[in-house]
Amino acid sequence: MKITRRKLKVEVPTVAMGDIAFNLLVFFVILARSQDDSHLKWEPARTAEVENFGNPRVSITVDTENRVYLNGRQVSTREISAGVESLLGNLPPGRRIVLLKIHKETLAATFEPIMEAVSEAGGEVVHVLQQDQPH
Amino acid sequence: MKIRRNTNLLIEPPAVATGDIAFNLLVFFLVCASSQPDSGRRQELPRSEQEKHQKQEKKNIEVSMGRTTLSIGEEGNLVETTLTDFPSRIRQSLSTRSAAKEDRIVVVRSTKDTPYERWITVTGMIESAGGVITLQLQEEQEILIP
Repeated sequence: MKITRRKLKVEVPTVAMGDIAFNLLVFFVILARSQDDSHLKWEPARTAEVENFGNPRVSITVDTENRVYLNGRQVSTREISAGVESLLGNLPPGRRIVLLKIHKETLAATFEPIMEAVSEAGGEVVHVLQQDQPH
Repeated sequence: MKIRRNTNLLIEPPAVATGDIAFNLLVFFLVCASSQPDSGRRQELPRSEQEKHQKQEKKNIEVSMGRTTLSIGEEGNLVETTLTDFPSRIRQSLSTRSAAKEDRIVVVRSTKDTPYERWITVTGMIESAGGVITLQLQEEQEILIP
């Protein structure tokens, strides 16, 4: 009589898959948060018409305390031009959008040099504004 | 002798799925917190070298504004106006110009105390009238006292 050897079932353990996915997700969330500027306090100016611009690579924020941030990192006005230039790299025209999130009460002494710096760096200025609600 | 059955069994909730539950919770909150795409207005700002070049050829329309003041005219010949009258004034000034971009340049000067919202309103009116905005910044000058 021939005794057949019992074949062992080899399976990839899938119990830890959830944990792996969880850790991966946490990693990417932390990575994404480092460029986030949603914690900054500013109030947009109002305008009649706005259009969507998605989520471009560069954003400059001026908060209620008149502090300037480049992609969520506080910078001085002098640092903006070089910072924007390095962030935009060799992106083609049309994709070189720089979002300006400027608090509505910011004075020209602050926001005009920022706009000039963006223009110098070859960025395309997009003012982030709030649409006026029709009455 | 009566053998009593031990009914105090150790009952533990299954912990295998905890990771999956956490993962799903995280995805749920991420989706909830995902920010809306930003909306606003694009603005074309010609570089300062171009501006200087064009200035030499022809007089541009100039708009000057402060916290409460607003004036419009050709360079060196400005007339005060109000925010209500401004759209018709800028349209009138641009109507005498050709459709060429370099002919429709409007030099915008603002005092240091001009608020952003006012600046956005005025420049929005210029763009709606077909003007091309160019900034003229107040340069800081160092004065040496002998």
